[in-house]
Amino acid sequence: MALLELSNISKSFEAVHALRNVSFDLRAGEVHAIVGENGAGKSTLIKIITGALQPDSGMIQIAGQLTRHLTPAAAQASGIAAIYQQPALFPDLTIAENISLRLDKPRAAGRVRWAQLRIRARELLQRIGAQVEPDCEIRQLSMPQQQLVEIACAIGGGARILIMDEPTASLPAREVDLLLGLVDSLRADGVGIIYVSHRLDEIFRIANRVTVLRDGQSAGTRSIASQQPAEAQVSKPGVSPTSKPAGRGNDTSDQSLQDPAGLETCATHLTEAELIRMMVGREVSTIFPPAESTPSTPHLWVQKLSCRAAGVHNVNFELRAGEILGLAGLVGVGRTGLARVLFGILPADSGTITLAGRDVRIDSPRDAIEAGIGYVPEDRRRHGVILPMSIAANITMATHARVFPHAWLQLPAERSEAQRWIQDLAIKTPSEEVPAANLSGGNQQKVALARWLAADPKVLILDEPTQGVDVAAKAEIHKLIRRLAARGLAVLMVSSDLPEILGMSNRIAVMRGGTIVRVLDGKTADAHSVMTAALGSNDKR
Amino acid sequence: MNFTLRSSSSLSELLLFVALILEIVIFSFTGSNFATKNNLFEILRLSTEIGLLALVMTPIILTGGIDLSVGSLLGLCAILFGKMWRDLHFPIALAAFCTLAIGAAGGLLNASLITRLNLPPLIVTLGSFSLFRGLAEAITRGVDNFTDFPASFLFLGQGYLPGGIPVQVVVLLVASVSIWLLIHQTVFGRSFRAIGFSSEGALFAGLPVKKRLTLAYVLAGTVAGLAALIYVARVGQAKADAGTGYELLAITAVVLGGSSIFGGTGTVHGTLLGVALLAVLKVGLILSDQPGELAGILTGALLLAALSGNILLTKFLMRRAAITK
Amino acid sequence: MKRHFREWSVAATLGLLLIVLAITAPGFFRTRQLLSTLSTAIPVLLVACGMAIVIISRQIDVSVGSQFAICSVLAGLLVREHWPVAAAAAAAIAAGVCLGALNGFFVAALGLPSIVVTLATMVTWREALRWCREGEFVRDLPSGFQWFGLGQLPGQLSILAISVALFLFLAWALKYLSAGRFAYAIGSDAEAARLAGLRPRWITFWVFVLLGGLTAIAALLNAVRFTDIDPKTGTGLEFSAIAAAVVGGIAISGGRGNLWGVLAGVLLLACIGPALVFFRWPPQWEKALQGLIILAAVTADGWRTKKQS
Repeated sequence: MALLELSNISKSFEAVHALRNVSFDLRAGEVHAIVGENGAGKSTLIKIITGALQPDSGMIQIAGQLTRHLTPAAAQASGIAAIYQQPALFPDLTIAENISLRLDKPRAAGRVRWAQLRIRARELLQRIGAQVEPDCEIRQLSMPQQQLVEIACAIGGGARILIMDEPTASLPAREVDLLLGLVDSLRADGVGIIYVSHRLDEIFRIANRVTVLRDGQSAGTRSIASQQPAEAQVSKPGVSPTSKPAGRGNDTSDQSLQDPAGLETCATHLTEAELIRMMVGREVSTIFPPAESTPSTPHLWVQKLSCRAAGVHNVNFELRAGEILGLAGLVGVGRTGLARVLFGILPADSGTITLAGRDVRIDSPRDAIEAGIGYVPEDRRRHGVILPMSIAANITMATHARVFPHAWLQLPAERSEAQRWIQDLAIKTPSEEVPAANLSGGNQQKVALARWLAADPKVLILDEPTQGVDVAAKAEIHKLIRRLAARGLAVLMVSSDLPEILGMSNRIAVMRGGTIVRVLDGKTADAHSVMTAALGSNDKR
Repeated sequence: MNFTLRSSSSLSELLLFVALILEIVIFSFTGSNFATKNNLFEILRLSTEIGLLALVMTPIILTGGIDLSVGSLLGLCAILFGKMWRDLHFPIALAAFCTLAIGAAGGLLNASLITRLNLPPLIVTLGSFSLFRGLAEAITRGVDNFTDFPASFLFLGQGYLPGGIPVQVVVLLVASVSIWLLIHQTVFGRSFRAIGFSSEGALFAGLPVKKRLTLAYVLAGTVAGLAALIYVARVGQAKADAGTGYELLAITAVVLGGSSIFGGTGTVHGTLLGVALLAVLKVGLILSDQPGELAGILTGALLLAALSGNILLTKFLMRRAAITK
Repeated sequence: MKRHFREWSVAATLGLLLIVLAITAPGFFRTRQLLSTLSTAIPVLLVACGMAIVIISRQIDVSVGSQFAICSVLAGLLVREHWPVAAAAAAAIAAGVCLGALNGFFVAALGLPSIVVTLATMVTWREALRWCREGEFVRDLPSGFQWFGLGQLPGQLSILAISVALFLFLAWALKYLSAGRFAYAIGSDAEAARLAGLRPRWITFWVFVLLGGLTAIAALLNAVRFTDIDPKTGTGLEFSAIAAAVVGGIAISGGRGNLWGVLAGVLLLACIGPALVFFRWPPQWEKALQGLIILAAVTADGWRTKKQS
């Protein structure tokens, strides 16, 4: 009996069909991944499962029980819990209090028993192996730690169906391993996990089945040939993936509900290429665009750069024109901190930055821009673009001095500037006056990129350039970055996406503990060498 | 969604304009001598000080900030001006210039605390609101007032140009045009909006956030000094309680005019509409022999009505042009 | 201790001021003087506590001065019409609750920004009251009204006792009642609160109602000190309440602070006036000093945050 079963779910908003006849089921002790491009309907489906939205038609069955009207409260009571990329925690309150507010039914006249809160919080945190104190305020925790608190809440609430929406988007390799290990042990406990992610390599690592959504419809549910995660956690026997007979068309959804227990027939090995094809309906190359140029003269030279506030010390590296230098490392080692120092958000304590042979002082973003440095930040929605403002306003925001000489606004000049970049970067939008908030993640990222390209930088720092961006847009952005490098731009690319780092970089600088510990050649480096340098160990992983 | 927001804000501006016309029509019937040229000029004359404060409050509110201290700063500038003239024997022009400088200094105090220490403008200007008024009261020991200003100075607040135009109206006109150009036609206005929508986003885009914010608050302080001069010239005396409650009227005018208190959206013509609404209301009621308190009551009610109407309208329009997520 | 560094530093400043006063102006601590100082501070304390809870929920209310005046005048008028004191008090409290509910309606139900809503209600109510009373005091109050008919000393002590009890209850409720924590939750992150099953709008509404009720009680405890009621009473009360809360460590951004800090803030600001008298400084410096203390408190906060980051 399936833990959760959705049959022929449809949902429309005004004229837009977000979901059309989508069926989905989740079994106990399974990790069922959902993939799809942005706008394919993933978040709508999730919202229907958590009760935040009501489907227009279709059936929902939880543990075999037909559910008429699923409210968030009813979903929670049925053991459905969701963990999103942005933890829904209270920053000023302690972990213990957060857990209590999430798990206990709100009764205004209830008494708050602080000692009990702490004990329960400590128990839950220990259960999932989190090393934090219940009395910590959430705002003192790092993002991965906050996600652990979220998971503690889910476990504490007795969730049997756990939805994880892009849980590893901001985690690097080691934290990802921890998380996936946790997912494995939850699976062993019989919890059903719906895993929504863009990271195809993780899906192949952890998922039993994968459902592909495309344009609001299910493009098929396939089982993943069982793969053992690196830390072999043996799944419960008897919960083996069923196979789909070969030859089934790609556009029909999988309706097989029977689970011939113990049968492990020869599964059609789902390949990544095939998965991507199901997602986009066409062939998309996962091979990264090849390097088109050989980097030449060193353009940026950083010596002994230190900044305590940014968590970096004694950073030394050089960056050449036409080169893509990948900046790898675990989260918190100081990559974004380094980017911020180079861009002037944080002032350096000591060290020198030399650009085109001249020592420069960068005390503010203005200084950086004048020195020819551009920075596409990691947090697209908070820092990359200003959402309520138009695409045109966003694109010209770093180049007021050029587009509007003498501080006078000239809208025609702005319009043509914006049009140029919209065309150049293939930004999908009806007009340049549309607010950036209306665009998809990938297009917003292009706007953020356009802003800096408009400033004609010599050095471009990209911080997680394809985070939260769907596969097709990712490929476009990668091609773009190559083109920029070919034109002579020096690119510093911070990324936690190992395939991206390996596929795009001419050289890879690995950071650990606030400084660069190794620089690898892009052609010869592999995941192993990068991880070894990032972890600082010589053990084979 | 852009269409909805744009249409909702120009719709509310339209409604404001209609409300203004309505006011004028009603008062021309109920008030004696309301619909005359002289009265129009009187309205403008009496609303110059608040108009000036509302004009400079606009960029501050656009940045998502607020300045509760402009009224008190006006009072402080007024009595210091009086003191420089009467006790320090400054020539009137020098005293006036120094008053502007003092206003700028007050604005700079606010600006420094807000930009350098990242303090919330509400609280900083609450503190300076008390400090400025307190200093004014302390310096005058609560009783002192300054009079006997030269006629050449009083002309600024009581004089008329050929055609019956009060002198300060020209000042208001010049200020209106200048601030309108600043906000709507320059990159400064663009920066203010960006900062209001997201000060972090503005920083990461390379905008000089601290400098822009400092400009906004120092401008407000300087204009508070200018308003102080006009006040003293109009009333003929400088007392510590000058400008009491002006900041509230200024903020009311700006919000009535459609600016969001959270920043990012707002127009100067909206603010001027708001000032006009308030001024016409006040004078119209007086001329219609209504008690002065009615102006306050209606102002509050009008503000609530305008905000509620705007919110309900926006919600209605957003529902119409629903967005899928 | 580190967690409540803010509250302790205010208490320390208060302590310092009291020590200085003890040395240079011991007359400040004579019973009569002390009770007088406290009687003036008590209305501010109750309103500041309510204001603190509002600020913790990430809202603000600048209309409490007008609410205060309306409740005072109402109580006086009713008592003059020979209503029993208890009934008049109940009516005044009901009035405060209604005024608070009106604010709450606009902020919670319609979602309007509280600074603007309470600005509007402040002006409307104050002007409406002025229109009704035309500046006239409410005189000829029956003798049973002043000091609750108890005489000055017992009256002051009862006011003190009532307020202490009320304050202790509020401080306890804010920490140990779920309802109290809800205020912190919605002030910290209203969306997370909604997802957790709380109802932020309801909570916001009741927070304004609570402030209205506390303001009314404060108005009563203040009105019984005098033989007549000034319709201009309560002017500037919102400023004092917000100032005391902020000095006491309540963060304007919401979600942080507690009432003990507010108590220290209220007492600190309340001592300035009498301290000026005892130091023989011109009383007109009170406002300026209050402003300086607020600026000093937030500046210190800002410095600390800057050094930490």
